Amino acid sequence: MAQHRGHDAFHARANALRPPFALSLLRSAWPLFACLALAIVLQLVIRPMMPVFAAKMLVDIGTSIILAVSLTMVNGFTGQFSIGHAAFMAVGAYVGATIVYYGSFRLFGNANMHGGLLSGMIDSRNPLPLFSWADLLFLCSLLAGGLAAAACGYVVGLPSLRLKGDYLAIVTLGFGEIVRVLIQSQTTEVLSNPQTIAATPMYMWPKYSGGALGFSGLPFYSSLFWVWVFAGLTLLVAARLKYSSTGRAFLAIREDEVAAEAMGVPTTKYKVRAFVIAAFFAGIAGVLFAHTVGVQLNPGELGFLKSFDILIMVVLGGLGSISGAALAATILTILPELLRQPPTIWPWGLIAGVVLAAALTPFSEKRWKPAVTIAVILIAWEVMRWTARTLGVDLAGYRMVIYAIALVLMMILRPEGLLGIREIWELRPVRAGGRGKGARR
Amino acid sequence: MSDSPAANPRPVLDVERISIAFGGLKAVTDFTLQLPRGRLHGLIGPNGAGKTTVFNLLTGVYRPTSGAISLEGESLLGMRPSQRAAAGLARTFQNIRLFPDLTVLDNVRVACHLRTRHTLAGTLWRSSLAAGEELAIIERSRELLDILGLLHRERDDARNLPYGDQRRLEIARALATDPKVLLLDEPAAGMNPQEKIELRTMIRSIRDKFSLTILLIEHDMGVVMGLCERITVLDHGVTITEGTPEEVQKNPKVIEAYLGEPVALDAVGGGGGA
Repeated sequence: MAQHRGHDAFHARANALRPPFALSLLRSAWPLFACLALAIVLQLVIRPMMPVFAAKMLVDIGTSIILAVSLTMVNGFTGQFSIGHAAFMAVGAYVGATIVYYGSFRLFGNANMHGGLLSGMIDSRNPLPLFSWADLLFLCSLLAGGLAAAACGYVVGLPSLRLKGDYLAIVTLGFGEIVRVLIQSQTTEVLSNPQTIAATPMYMWPKYSGGALGFSGLPFYSSLFWVWVFAGLTLLVAARLKYSSTGRAFLAIREDEVAAEAMGVPTTKYKVRAFVIAAFFAGIAGVLFAHTVGVQLNPGELGFLKSFDILIMVVLGGLGSISGAALAATILTILPELLRQPPTIWPWGLIAGVVLAAALTPFSEKRWKPAVTIAVILIAWEVMRWTARTLGVDLAGYRMVIYAIALVLMMILRPEGLLGIREIWELRPVRAGGRGKGARR
Repeated sequence: MSDSPAANPRPVLDVERISIAFGGLKAVTDFTLQLPRGRLHGLIGPNGAGKTTVFNLLTGVYRPTSGAISLEGESLLGMRPSQRAAAGLARTFQNIRLFPDLTVLDNVRVACHLRTRHTLAGTLWRSSLAAGEELAIIERSRELLDILGLLHRERDDARNLPYGDQRRLEIARALATDPKVLLLDEPAAGMNPQEKIELRTMIRSIRDKFSLTILLIEHDMGVVMGLCERITVLDHGVTITEGTPEEVQKNPKVIEAYLGEPVALDAVGGGGGA
């Protein structure tokens, strides 16, 4: 293509503005090291002080964040409506699980947990090295799961993203069902005899992944370290995308596809790009999910209901908001667990409520709103507990009903999502009653 | 056809006999246009004459059933709209199509991405090249906003701008693609008389500043006649005439297209008396 007059001037200016190499390297790399360091501290220092239940919650939250933030890149950034995210998770989960399970047999003769200190959630093993070959196996399976999901994303996305409107929703829904049924229709056998496995060629391994009964016997490698390294990476990729030329092109497609194309954005290419990146991280989340304590990998669990769970997180957080999706993922993962045995709000719920209300007040046009909203939530919570106790009802049985009611209420009260399309760090204090710079609508 | 003798041997934009039919409806028939560098050309015609269809054919929204379009000798046929934008053809829209939830600055920044050389890997790693280019994009976008007088609103959402500012933001955004030819679809629509006068000055000045060739659709005759060097008149998809504003104004076919066929006076009188 012919070069433009203006391009040379632009390139000369860009070269003049390039930061020095060392500074640029530092800026590029520090978030990675920070994320790695944080995950190591979380795993080695903080986890031993936590109850196992809380650590498991943190692992689930991290996985949810990876899923919600990656889906935000498609549904939030480019405005395409994908409702088959769990299918990419399933592809990743089964590819990763096959590699870890049968790979372990080849390397160690059994499928037990062989990882070092950075893997796993339970300290039942003897003093261990920080990092072992088994951890490398797990890392490879994570990347392989991600790449397999990304490849599927490309194959599904390329034809369907050419079309406008609801096609993608239907195609992704269909793809999700195809993946689920394909896995379910395999033999329910999982090989567990080292001799048989050694005699089975590698390409036959995926066939023996448990079918409809689920893939049992997987070692539990997922740990706070692995989950939060990849949650951090997902957040970093999403943020760097959003504040870049590519990310603005994504947002332009969401805002007006015709105008974006007219301004030189190759819309199909960019939509596929967002879709493939999102599928990659969904695949990684799938591998992490498959190797989490207490999870029995089962195709039924990764059907369209799971896709909707992720979609709800994205919509509730605010379409296009990374921090909103992460926040919603956290809340929606904790809430069902909290509702199993609703604790009293005294004193921690009350303290958290007061702090939150104080923090939110400057950001609201109506100064009374955050405090009143939080007070109503806390009172409703106690009323619910009191009613249940008086009537002798076990709330655990009704927790999904309460969860659904909470969702409906949140959507009625804040239809644009918790954060709208803004990020937490983009919010600015608003003058009471007036419209400040950060005010929306 | 009264085409002026070509001062420039090769026109910047060369449109040869393009036609398009939607089913049985011939929306545009044999539309021909040669724009030499620096020309300010008007495209007028009554409602439904096919003006915006011509724009959509030029920018690649529609594919012509026959004919040829080339920009500086490079054929545009078979290119997607984004590729045509990259080749140097930018446009604004009749019904404003900004990115409403993005800021004014981001609206312009989107259109700057054409020039960037860094890859997706560079974006994710925030390479030194990517960082330099992002800074250059900000500088360039703010320059364009300054020229269009919108710099003081760069942080506002595009949806919150007044109508006239939104029109100017569309022009700024189109300029950010670094075009050779700029297509303006009714830039004066919805503007007050004062804004229209400013618009005329502004269009001339950006033409000179960016050495642009401009084709504009406009209903406001004051703007068209005062601004354009030559004018093409369309009616029912057919080019009625092409010439200087004076020639076009005097052309009986043009008057007929706008006002209808001349009618015998007594017939009009009879109708009015009934």
